[in-house]
Amino acid sequence: MKELVEYIVKALVDTPDEVNVAQTEGESVTILEIRVAQDDIGKVIGREGRIANAIRTITKAAAAKNKRRVTVEILTQGEEARKPKTEGG
Amino acid sequence: MKSVKMKGKNVDEAVDSALKVLGLTTEQVDVKVINEGKSGMLGMFGGEEAEVEVMEKLSREDLVKTFLADILDKMGYVAMVKVLGNEGDRILLEVKGEDIARIIGKDGATLDALQTLVGTMASRTVKERVRVSIDAEGYRQRRKSAIERLAQETINDVERLGIEKMLPPMSPADRRTVHMLLQNHPKLGSFSVGERANRRVVITLAEKVPKDAKKK
Repeated sequence: MKELVEYIVKALVDTPDEVNVAQTEGESVTILEIRVAQDDIGKVIGREGRIANAIRTITKAAAAKNKRRVTVEILTQGEEARKPKTEGG
Repeated sequence: MKSVKMKGKNVDEAVDSALKVLGLTTEQVDVKVINEGKSGMLGMFGGEEAEVEVMEKLSREDLVKTFLADILDKMGYVAMVKVLGNEGDRILLEVKGEDIARIIGKDGATLDALQTLVGTMASRTVKERVRVSIDAEGYRQRRKSAIERLAQETINDVERLGIEKMLPPMSPADRRTVHMLLQNHPKLGSFSVGERANRRVVITLAEKVPKDAKKK
């Protein structure tokens, strides 16, 4: 899955060397965190999220083959993934 | 794809000898400079040779075919991609294989996503707009016929009852099919309402189509 997303994103951005994809496997969910250079984030999201949605659709289809769900997050280099809110934090 | 690495006194000479080896012209290749080279003292001592990698440019057809085939392969699907030809400025691709139903997806969603990505990837690579149309086992044509049938039933209702009717939310391609069908209708017209995933076509009397309505 990581390889698939990396392949697509590297062809979309100006700085492929700064593309980084992290894959985390949960019980039934695969989490993919795509990190790209600051200037490239718009290129991966696209107008009205068109490209990001296409990437989600493709990963969903690929994951469905193994009956898994998938979430895709697009971030810039160094940006922390959104953590679920914890009480008193 | 043909490619060769070559050294020379400077970048230009390295490129020239690479072109000779490949039998191609400057317009047919991409050049990547590995080492710019340094001229040494009196052009003799301590110099460093320039090194370049010269790659044959893929045709747009081969480029989009490679992108699509690689994506399907990485998705874990067994499929074959064929270039069918061109329609205006669009490159037509066809997918065949075992997992066709999944490659098409619900209402063609996966096929549409593949089309968006392959088109954008190719456009960014050649730095010019590249349009692709991806079909799988004749899905697009079947879909077009099904949408036309649905639209025709609605047209009949609107004609008979003189009321306005709204179709379910549809993709841009499906909405285009409906608008095309109504384009030359003597009495009825169409326009779209709603945003993004909820955008749908309204079929009504031609005089009731808002003047500023966008067809898309």
